[in-house]
Amino acid sequence: MQFTLINGEKKETKPLKKNLTIKKLLDEIETPLETVVVKKNGEIVIEEEIIQDEDIIEVIHIIYGG
Amino acid sequence: MKCTRCDKAEIIIERKHSGQRLCIECFILSIQKKVLKDIRKQKLIEKGDRVAVALSGGKDSVTVLDILNSLYERKIIDLMAITIDEGIQGYRDEAIQIAAKHAQQLGIKHRIVSFKECFNLSLDEIMASDPSRGACTYCGVLRRWIINKTAREMGATKIVTGHNLDDETQSILMNYLEGNIDNLTRIGARTFPASDNFVVKIKPLREIPEKEVGIYVLARNLEAHFAGCPYSRDSFRAEIAQIVKDLSKNHPTIMYSTLRGFDKIKIALKKEYSPGFNLKNCINCGEPSAQKLCRACLFCREIEKHIHRNKFNANY
Repeated sequence: MQFTLINGEKKETKPLKKNLTIKKLLDEIETPLETVVVKKNGEIVIEEEIIQDEDIIEVIHIIYGG
Repeated sequence: MKCTRCDKAEIIIERKHSGQRLCIECFILSIQKKVLKDIRKQKLIEKGDRVAVALSGGKDSVTVLDILNSLYERKIIDLMAITIDEGIQGYRDEAIQIAAKHAQQLGIKHRIVSFKECFNLSLDEIMASDPSRGACTYCGVLRRWIINKTAREMGATKIVTGHNLDDETQSILMNYLEGNIDNLTRIGARTFPASDNFVVKIKPLREIPEKEVGIYVLARNLEAHFAGCPYSRDSFRAEIAQIVKDLSKNHPTIMYSTLRGFDKIKIALKKEYSPGFNLKNCINCGEPSAQKLCRACLFCREIEKHIHRNKFNANY
């Protein structure tokens, strides 16, 4: 069980833990939820969305300081 | 979880401040309706206005351009755009291309004006001169000078900026904490200029949170430049932005209440503290100014002195 994480320029395959939500994933990669929008398989999703096997998760940074 | 408006299963946002959950279509509609309602309610735009959008190519200006295009298509307003090239290497070029593409797609007049052509200095050159003020201070003053002058030359009756709820909350707190009451009295959905040479500026996204602007751009598949300005990271605004974001986690309505509270006390503030400007024309550039020299010309002279001093120090 795995998923693909695209975070800015970086793309990697990660092992999938059971019931991993977008919120937990963002906590793991130390990315504040309020500064990003996340797409799952090309669709915008909310933080409670659960990641499934082979999903492609894209973290789009929309807010920078200043 | 289902959309609270149409029952569709795929929701893209849960608004913590209102409890609303929305699907993509209902979210897009809610933003468009809210912005157009605010424009009507606060009389920001009138039929026949010639509206110039300050179009950086970032998410905020691209969003406001997209929403105002509905008024342009219905021939309620004329629409045009102005893009400023501050001269920030590795940052601005992509945004300018995106801005130009949007203007071309909508078939609107678009002018790209650089710091270099107006002041013979790029922002990179200004900051390399080891100046006494922060980058955002120079950039803000010089950008406003260009936008106002260019909008006037293009015959605009309104200048639209993409300031969102986060920007406005930050401005209120920054000016309050710095004790800058004169600046506080000027914060609002529109300006009331003391000179005909200042074009009225309006902020139709003032009540839309920054994150929702980002979601709107992605939901509408609009191309936008998302990178942060390399000079803004260490600014006081960035510090305040962080404080407000941290507070918002447990207090999701804090930005709205800051704005609402401020709008109420602003009436009293304006009455008590409104500076009685006696505007004249800058002796150097002819633009309206409270002093003999406008702030843009004052800053340019300051920077020239820094550059001469640096050259002198390098030679001896």
